[in-house]
Amino acid sequence: SERRVAGQQQTGDCSRGRAEPRAPAAPAAAMATGSMLPARNQEAMAAAASGTYSYCSRPRALPTRRRYRGAPGHSEQEEEPVRYANLMYDRRVVRGNTYALHALPWTAQPDPLEIQRQREAHRKALARKRAKEQHQSRTPEPVEGRKHVDVQTELYLEELGDRIIEVDVECQTDAFLDRPPTPLFIPAKTGRDVATQIEEGELFDFDIEVKPMLEVLIGKIIEQALLEVMEEEELANLRAHQYAYEELRNAELAEVQRLEEQERRHREEKERRKNQQSQLLQKQKETSEKIAARAFAQRYLADLIPSVFSSLRDSGYFYDPVERDIEKEFIPWVMAEVDETLEKKILGRGVLDTLIREVVEKRLDAFDQPEASGQPAGQTEASHRGSVQIEALHQTETQEPEAE
Amino acid sequence: SCFLGSLSLALSESDSWGVFSEQRESIPQYRGMAHARISAKLPPDIDPTKAAIAFGERALPKLNEELQSPELLTRQRALMALCDLVHDPENVYQAIQLGFLDNLKYLLLDHDSTVREKTTEVLYIMASHNVGRDGFIKYGVIPALSQLLNDPVDICRRNMHRAFEIMAELPRGAVGIVDSSLISSLVLKLKTELDEIQELILDTLSGCLCIEAFEALATGAVSILKEKLTHPSVAIRSKAARVLLGISVPLEGKNIVWDEEVIPVLVSLLEDSDPEVRANAAGALMNATITTQGKYAALSADAIPPLLKLVDDETSKVRLNAIKALTMLSEAPEGRKTLLNHVDLFRGQLNDSSEAVSRAAKIAIKVIEWKP
Repeated sequence: SERRVAGQQQTGDCSRGRAEPRAPAAPAAAMATGSMLPARNQEAMAAAASGTYSYCSRPRALPTRRRYRGAPGHSEQEEEPVRYANLMYDRRVVRGNTYALHALPWTAQPDPLEIQRQREAHRKALARKRAKEQHQSRTPEPVEGRKHVDVQTELYLEELGDRIIEVDVECQTDAFLDRPPTPLFIPAKTGRDVATQIEEGELFDFDIEVKPMLEVLIGKIIEQALLEVMEEEELANLRAHQYAYEELRNAELAEVQRLEEQERRHREEKERRKNQQSQLLQKQKETSEKIAARAFAQRYLADLIPSVFSSLRDSGYFYDPVERDIEKEFIPWVMAEVDETLEKKILGRGVLDTLIREVVEKRLDAFDQPEASGQPAGQTEASHRGSVQIEALHQTETQEPEAE
Repeated sequence: SCFLGSLSLALSESDSWGVFSEQRESIPQYRGMAHARISAKLPPDIDPTKAAIAFGERALPKLNEELQSPELLTRQRALMALCDLVHDPENVYQAIQLGFLDNLKYLLLDHDSTVREKTTEVLYIMASHNVGRDGFIKYGVIPALSQLLNDPVDICRRNMHRAFEIMAELPRGAVGIVDSSLISSLVLKLKTELDEIQELILDTLSGCLCIEAFEALATGAVSILKEKLTHPSVAIRSKAARVLLGISVPLEGKNIVWDEEVIPVLVSLLEDSDPEVRANAAGALMNATITTQGKYAALSADAIPPLLKLVDDETSKVRLNAIKALTMLSEAPEGRKTLLNHVDLFRGQLNDSSEAVSRAAKIAIKVIEWKP
């Protein structure tokens, strides 16, 4: 397989070798200067001109092609140390057989002679191939003592009676059938079989060997169990401790609160009592002041009343009701009655006066009329006397009231 | 070797198999013939549910990595192995140093119920060690645990409440629980949870109430506890009475207890058959009767005769609380009048075995015979 690989490599190199003359040009063009081709042409022309040997392409040590692409911005700058390639691993170097390499012509133009020769070679190859095909026999070679003869069976027509029944059978493996597993490779046995048997009690005595293991196991179990029991005991102790503490704490707390409460109550009670007492004192003081004030007032006002009474009496505010009654009512009534009576009297007098006047006037008239009638004069005298009397009476009566 | 196998299978029930097989690698000196090395390596299929524990120092780190694995089976096995390892406090310390608690917190919210159950169990076992409790507080495990309050699986909730209960026994842990504002949710859970879990909640609450009682009072804990006082289960009654004892320490608690008329119920509990119930009921009465209105409520509920009977009880806690309660009641004039006839009972307790009881009896006598 190694040889095959090498062969492959060679063929690969051959094929690459064909491209080899081009290869330096292309990477060269790609890589460094970028104008190799025109330079080559120039050099060729220079060679033709100068006559000295000139290279088609100047030999130079080619730097390595980069195996991996550089960073995107890297292709502009060249890395400083130029590494020279190992000739052995350069893909552009032709390897292997160089006898029949198709080398590129020196010039770009193909030589017409070359072309003709190529064409003829090509034609000859074709002809050879055709001839070979024709002469290739399809039938196998005749056995010894026999000879192949071409026979034409046209005249002897036979009916193909015993036709063998042919059936077309197809067989197709499954599309993606897995490769069957490789059969187990059991190498051939080498060596000799030898058997041995360990009898009971030869290797070890179970009962003795198991003892230490058992001790360990049971010891550990008991240790662990003890640990757990201790853990639980510890927890239980802690809980009991806590319980007792809580008991005490609750009791003490209650006691503290009770005492607080008691203190508060007592204090409030004291406050209340003090308030009460102070109120009491206050009231007492008020009362005594009241009493003192009352006594003083009483004394002060003791002789107030008589003096008041006397001053009132003096100013006439007290009256005897009979007297007042007489004054207020009786006397005005009497006066009114007197007035009335007097008025009546006056009226009477007035009337009398008019009567008298009339009488007198009539008498006067009658008197004037000379003894027109004596009787009436008599009457009129009488009446005249009456009227005179009346007048006199009236005068006296009027004088009396005037005097009064 | 089959004997060994069966023995080891039997032993796999004990929690510590993994522990000692790992940590005690001592090779004992044995007398015997062959010099085969005794290896403590377990047979490979001893407990198929547990992960293989690495040797020595690598055990916990490897388990830590396995806990974070995306595969369910690996996580479950790692948790089973961890459950066994955390019985040892050294392992707990190391585990906390390695940062197990963060992984466990993350696993608490796993979909699989076995994972959650085992995680809560691990946390509960860790909490029973002091190192574990400190770690809980430092890493804030309590709020993470509280996310499981409504978990559908009973065992998860039970383990979670167990862990809370143990945390509440430590004052700092109780502070942690109070700070995570868990009290109101716990109080509300009392109404709906199973009995076993209710006991755990009640214990947690009585631990937390030492720190702060207002939140519980605000959630209406007193009325819930009043119902629990008449529960058929003895444990729940006694624990509920204990929580009431704690709740009636601040003044608001006392007022609410009087308001909700819990005092007559407590008086009826004084004649319960279980000494714990009696003791806690007497204690609750003792705290509730500090206020004047509490005193008169107790007197009207006729608390003195049963309390007098309890003064001679066998349990010292009952005696202590009964004497204290009577001391409270004797501060009221009516109580004093009644108790003046029973002073001899207290004199009998002056030489009691428990120092607290004798002190309480002395104080009681002093209060009863006090003249204003």
